[in-house]
Amino acid sequence: MPPTSKSVEGIARTAMLATTIRRKNIKKGLAFSVMIVGSSGLGKSTFVNTLCESPVFPKKDCGSPEKAALEKTVAITPVTVEMEEDGIKLSLTIVDTPGFGDNINNEGNFLDILAYIERQYDDILAEESRIKRNPKFYDNRVHALLYFIAPTGHSLRELDIEFMRRLGARANIIPVVAKSDSMNPAELAAFKKRVMEDIAYYKIPIYNFPYDDEEDDDETIEENNELRALLPFSVVGSEDEVVLNGRRMRCRQYPWGLVEVDNSRHCDFSKLRYMLLSSHLQDLKEITHDFLYEQYRTEKLSKEGEDDEEDEVEQDDHRRQQEVVPEQPAQ
Amino acid sequence: MPAAAASTIGIANLPNQRHRIVSRKGANFTIMVLGESGLGKTTYVNTLFTTLLRDYKRPEHRFQKQLERTVQIDVVRAEIEEKGFNVRLTVIDTPGFGDYVNNQDCWVPVVEFLDEQHQNYMSHEQRAQRDEKDDLRVHVCLYFIQPTGHTLKPLDIEVMKQLGSRVNLIPIIAKADTLTPGDLAVFKDRIRDCISTHNIAVYSPPVQSDDEENTRRNQSIFSAMPFSVISSESDVTSPTTGEKVRGRQYLWGVAEVENEAHCDFKKLRNLLIRTHMHDLIASTEEHHYENFRMDKLGAEGRTDDDPAQRARRGLESKMKEEEEALRKRFTEQVRMEENRFRQWEQRLIAERDRLNRDLETQHKTVKTLEEELDELTVSRRK
Repeated sequence: MPPTSKSVEGIARTAMLATTIRRKNIKKGLAFSVMIVGSSGLGKSTFVNTLCESPVFPKKDCGSPEKAALEKTVAITPVTVEMEEDGIKLSLTIVDTPGFGDNINNEGNFLDILAYIERQYDDILAEESRIKRNPKFYDNRVHALLYFIAPTGHSLRELDIEFMRRLGARANIIPVVAKSDSMNPAELAAFKKRVMEDIAYYKIPIYNFPYDDEEDDDETIEENNELRALLPFSVVGSEDEVVLNGRRMRCRQYPWGLVEVDNSRHCDFSKLRYMLLSSHLQDLKEITHDFLYEQYRTEKLSKEGEDDEEDEVEQDDHRRQQEVVPEQPAQ
Repeated sequence: MPAAAASTIGIANLPNQRHRIVSRKGANFTIMVLGESGLGKTTYVNTLFTTLLRDYKRPEHRFQKQLERTVQIDVVRAEIEEKGFNVRLTVIDTPGFGDYVNNQDCWVPVVEFLDEQHQNYMSHEQRAQRDEKDDLRVHVCLYFIQPTGHTLKPLDIEVMKQLGSRVNLIPIIAKADTLTPGDLAVFKDRIRDCISTHNIAVYSPPVQSDDEENTRRNQSIFSAMPFSVISSESDVTSPTTGEKVRGRQYLWGVAEVENEAHCDFKKLRNLLIRTHMHDLIASTEEHHYENFRMDKLGAEGRTDDDPAQRARRGLESKMKEEEEALRKRFTEQVRMEENRFRQWEQRLIAERDRLNRDLETQHKTVKTLEEELDELTVSRRK
C-alpha cells in the first residue's frame, strides 16, 4: 500500500508518540492478569513456573491416598509476580484453578470460574459508578484465559467444548495443547487442525489475533496471521535446566532424547510467551476492556433495569458506594 | 501297588497327550481395554498382537459422538495363529467411557456387561443340552490411567474398585513417553499407595514357581505394576543402533516400544501372553466365575437343591400369592355388600319413621277434627 496519506512529518510524529508511551509504561509498569484452566496433571503449574522463570506454584502435593478419592471443588488461587519484560516492569497476576475437571461429575466447575471472572467485572463496575473514583484502583479483570487441552490426539472433549463455549463471552480464551511432547510433529499438526475445526464447528469464541485490514500495517497483519496459524499453541514446561553446548537450557530429559522448552521447533512456548507478555499484552487488555467488559456491563445493567424500578437502581448504587468506601483502606 | 518296574507304564506320557489335545483345540482369550479416549488403547491392542485388529476412530464422524454422553461396548473378534496354535481372540473396547463432563455411573454398562457374560455362561451350563457356545467371559481387563504424574483420579478409584472384584484387573500407565523416568517412578509409587489404601483388587497371580528363574522373572514383572506402556504400529530406525525397531519417532529421539529402559511393554506382553495367559483364563473361570455364581445363587435363597424342588417351591410361592390375592378380593367384596345392605336398611328405617310420623300427624288431625265435631254436636244439641 503506497504511503500517500502519511507524510514524513506524520511518521516522525507517530514514532515520537510511540517512544513517549513506552517511556511512560516503563515508569508506571504494566498490570496483567492471566487465568490458567485445565484438568489436573496437564502441566499447568509447571507452565506457570516456566513462564515466570521462578517457582510460583510449588510441586503438587498429592496428599494422602485416601484424599485421592474425594471430590474437590475448584479452588481459585490468584498469585501476583513482579517481572521485567523488555525493560518494562510487569505485575503479572496468575489465577490458578486446581480441581477443575477432576471429579466424576464436573458440571459445577464452570459456574465457579465464571463467578470469579464476573466478580472482577462487578468490582470495576462498582468502582466506575462511584462519585469519587480511585485512580490507583487495581484492575483485577482476567485479561487472558489459557485453556489447557489434553493431548489425546483425537479432538476436543465435551469438557473442553462446554467450558470454552460458556466462558468465551467473558474472557479472551487462548487454547493451548498441554504436554505436547507426547506427540510427534505429524500427530501434533493433525491434532491442531482438528481442534480448530471443532472450535469453528461449535462456534466457540476464542482470541484469534484479530486485526483490521484498514488500520493495521502489513507487518502486524502478517504477524497476527502467523500466530493465528499456530493456534492452539503447543507447550512443554520444565523447571529443570541442563547445560547443552555451553548454554543452560530448560529441558525435559528422556532416556531417548532431550526436549528443549525454548526451541521453537520442539514447541510453541517461546512464541506464546512473547505474544502473551510483550506483543499482544496491550491488545488483550484493550479487548477485555472495550469489548468483553462493555458487553458484560450492558447485559448486567439491562437486566437490573428490567427487574427494579429506576429509583431502586439509584438506591442500589448509593448503597454500593457506601459499602465500597469502608473497604477502600484494606485494599 | 505301583511296581518299580524297569520299563515304565507310560503314565508320564499323559502331559504330552494333554498338550496335543490342547494345542489342537486352541484357546479362547477375551481381553477388555478400558479408559478415557485418546490414551492409546486401540494402538496398544494393535501393537500387542502386531496386527491391525481395530480401526482407529474416524475423525470425520466425531461431531455426532462428542456430546452424546453414552458408553458403548464394542466387540472385535479375531483368530490368531502362531506355529500351529490357534487363539480365538476377542477384544472388547468401551468408547465413551470417562469422556464427558458428568461421568457419574459411566462404569455401569461395563459392570453389567461383565456380569452378563457370567450370567450367560451360568444359564448355558444349566441347560440339558450343552453344546459349543460363545463364551465371552472377560479374562483380563486392562485399565488405562492418564499420565498426569500426580495420582489416581476419583473416577479411576471408583471404577477399579467395581471391576477388581469381578475380573482380573491390570492397571496400565498410558502414553508413558510423556513422563520422565523420575516422574514415572514417583507416579507408580503413588498409584500403588492408592491401590493398597482403597483395597482395590488388582491381578496378582502366583509368583512362586518351580524353578528359580521363573520366580525371579515373575517377581520382576509384578514389581513393575502398574505397567507403563508406549505403543506404536510403525517401525522406525533407532538412532543409537541403526536397526529398525517398533517405536515413536520424535524430533528429539526415538521412544522404543520394546526397550525395557523406555517402558514396560515387554513385561506386560510376557505377562499377558507368554507366561500368565493360562492363569488369567483359569482364574477367571475358577475364581471370578465361582464368586459370581455363589453371589447370584445365594441371593436367590438356594443352598444346594435340585431343579425340580426349586421349581416346585417357586410354584408354591406363586400359588400362595394368588391365594392371598383372592382372599383379599373376596373380603373386600363382602364388605362392600354389607355396607350396601346396611345403607339400604337405614334408608328403610328412615322411610318407616317418616311414614309413622305422617301417620301420627294424620291421627292428630283426625282427632282434632273429631273433637271439633263432638263440640259442634254438643253445642247444637244445647
